[in-house]
Amino acid sequence: MKKRIPLIAVLLVAVLCISLTLAACDKSGAAGGSSSGKDELVIYNWEQYIDTGIIPDFEQYYYELTGRRLEITYTTFDTNETMMTKVLKNDANVDLICPSEYAIEKLMSAGFVKNLKEVENRLTEQYGGKYTFDNMHSNIEPEVMSAIKTMFSAVQAGDKTYDMTEYMVPYMWGTLGLLYNKNVVSEEELEKYGWGMLWNESNNPELEGKILVKDSIRDTYCAAVLYLKEYNKLPDGVSATQGVPYSELSVADLINCTDDALLKAAEEALTEQRDHIAGYEVDFGKDDMLNEIVYLDLAWSGDALWAIEESYDEEADDYLLGYYVPEIGSNIWYDGWIIPTSAKNELAAMLFIDYMCTPRSGARNTGYIGYTSAVAKDKLMSDQGAIDALLDVEYLWYASSEECKIFFDADGNSVFRYEWTEGDVYYLYADGSEAEIDDESTLTPAGYETDEDGYYLTADGENIVDADAMSYFFFDEGRYPEITETLGVMRDFGSANDKVVQMWERAKAGTDTPWVLIWCLIAITAVVGISAGAYFLKEYLKRRPRKLPKDASLSPDNGDTIA
Amino acid sequence: MTNAVAAVRPARKKFKITKRVFSYPYVLFMLLFVVLPLVMILVNAFLDSDNNLTLENFKIFFTEKSSLIVLGNSVFVGLVTTLICLLIGYPVAYFLSKMSSGKVLVLFFVLPMWVNFLIRTLATKAIFLAMDVTLGMGTVVFGMVYNYLPFMILPLHTTLSSIDRSYIEAAQDLGADSSTVFLKTILPLSVSGIISGITMVFIPTISTFAISQLLSNGKIFLFGDSIQMKFDQGLYGVGSIMSIVMLVFVLVSNFLMNRVGRNNNNMGRSLW
Repeated sequence: MKKRIPLIAVLLVAVLCISLTLAACDKSGAAGGSSSGKDELVIYNWEQYIDTGIIPDFEQYYYELTGRRLEITYTTFDTNETMMTKVLKNDANVDLICPSEYAIEKLMSAGFVKNLKEVENRLTEQYGGKYTFDNMHSNIEPEVMSAIKTMFSAVQAGDKTYDMTEYMVPYMWGTLGLLYNKNVVSEEELEKYGWGMLWNESNNPELEGKILVKDSIRDTYCAAVLYLKEYNKLPDGVSATQGVPYSELSVADLINCTDDALLKAAEEALTEQRDHIAGYEVDFGKDDMLNEIVYLDLAWSGDALWAIEESYDEEADDYLLGYYVPEIGSNIWYDGWIIPTSAKNELAAMLFIDYMCTPRSGARNTGYIGYTSAVAKDKLMSDQGAIDALLDVEYLWYASSEECKIFFDADGNSVFRYEWTEGDVYYLYADGSEAEIDDESTLTPAGYETDEDGYYLTADGENIVDADAMSYFFFDEGRYPEITETLGVMRDFGSANDKVVQMWERAKAGTDTPWVLIWCLIAITAVVGISAGAYFLKEYLKRRPRKLPKDASLSPDNGDTIA
Repeated sequence: MTNAVAAVRPARKKFKITKRVFSYPYVLFMLLFVVLPLVMILVNAFLDSDNNLTLENFKIFFTEKSSLIVLGNSVFVGLVTTLICLLIGYPVAYFLSKMSSGKVLVLFFVLPMWVNFLIRTLATKAIFLAMDVTLGMGTVVFGMVYNYLPFMILPLHTTLSSIDRSYIEAAQDLGADSSTVFLKTILPLSVSGIISGITMVFIPTISTFAISQLLSNGKIFLFGDSIQMKFDQGLYGVGSIMSIVMLVFVLVSNFLMNRVGRNNNNMGRSLW
């Protein structure tokens, strides 16, 4: 044993050396970016959350702008928690991250996020105003910004407070809602029962056991407390932290409330829910909905829109799936770009954020991943690059003479006339908004030529974007919901997080007795018992007649003594 | 100590490539990827989220009813799976060992193991869905048995086929009928195989999480799932405690199995 001690010591030293070299390599690799003549930008984003074609395009754009080559390293994370752990442990040498709003709050509180205003001022000073970041300031949907501002204008960090809008630029946003199968779940049901559909409150026999909820406590908790509100099951009395009765809390306050009484009520609701659902999904919800394995799914609007797009049935000329946000309210979420304090290439990071805020990038990303871009709707509509990007992914299409007629109204605006079913006529402006036309005689036909496939052409020979497509895309309530106070932003649970996770674990573990296991055990015991019984019975029957004719000297006792 | 140093010094001067040298890469690997992570788990178990020393994590785990229920459920599932595997696996291994073509046939039982178990489990799920079976505890137990049966059959087959035929012939000569031969000769001789089989099945089943998650859509929540969730949510302390509890379970069951194995004369050859 003594001899081995040096060997182990040598090995330990070797381990140390290796890890030290690895660490050193890591550091030199991160710092060596600029020395090799190329700038480096490390992006840390959600999986499949960007049009990958944008990355080389930005590298080119950066080169044209600065005259320096840029190399982008694109890394991904699958949950906010994974990302946060990495960042909070100082393990992430990245320049840009795209977390959800509550994760940004947490990172800000821990002091890991740079103030973008300060960064911008610094860059302006350093480069003498050579670079501007206008898209970042002017293109973001103002409603989204104000919603973030109301909730996160005073993020606590130490004894100071900070305004989140100075620290992040929104990238994508959306709501939480119900993705449903139109053949099984009717709109009346959804309107009547709202979140209760996840508990199958409508007692739809087809739906029982065919519901999926998200395996994510934040989303299920939100659904659970809103369900409690809908059905007047909220705990009685006054909230311990908010000071008002639970029933009077606004949606935003309610989904952020983690009082013990509310947690208990939510736990009961979630435990009860177990009996009605097929299970908890991580990422297969969309597929199971498309394959009609389940008929209802708790989903984010972006995923839902993607699934709806996929569910188009050519024969029925309709979408199989629909998305519904219950009227009582829901969660509205934002993912945004932040620059962590570990960032080295501030210029590239800021330019990238700015580039992502151009209408064209916004449209490309939306087209690619299906989520709603934070770039304002009217900016997208009026930008040819954005329209082209959406045409590329077939979110938009060209107007065809088979489907519509184009007129000009008295003010010279184009009006599209649609008549899908006989006698049911409606009019749309070119941007997709509805046109109130009482008298068709006030319109003058536009008189556009058509090409050989029947698509309208302008005088310049350009195709015209179909107004119905514009309306489908830009006036979809799922994609662009009206931001009202029934949509609440969810904060980080903060110190209550452990409590909530434990509640979620209790709810998931359930209280049901594992009857299947007990029956299995009984069956196994029975099989073993019966075979053992059969054996002993056989032995017993065999032994009895044997004893009678046999001589005493040949009795088995002798054998035993020899052994 | 001085002796040891003295003994090592000359050895270092004339360093030779002995057989032992070839084991160094593996020892290094073990240190890096087995010992080091274990130490890290142990350290994490005593740290709270702000890296202060604490025993709070133990308290959280052992006073939380649900985590104990989850642990109990896992052990129960592991037990039932192991028993079913034994009940199915033993006769199969027994008959295969008696057949001359048994070795080839065993291959067929091992064959599914060559397909990645995640793919197998997903395929099982697809079959269940196609058959309109409700996913739940039943399907989880099925998936577990399906996945771990080869681990039971293989050691049993090895042990059973290495039993000397002359023991059986001797028993028959002494007047034992076939059931007595089995119970009094073959079964005791195959105990070591049974023990290897049980260890091979029970220990992985109490720690599995992918099978239960996939085959019940996350509705059956086992100890492995719980640990995974703890780490996902950044609760490293409690997660580490649970990993240690799991480790203790593994060690205890291993110890018990070894004790049983030692008490029984090791006549048959065990595989592991």
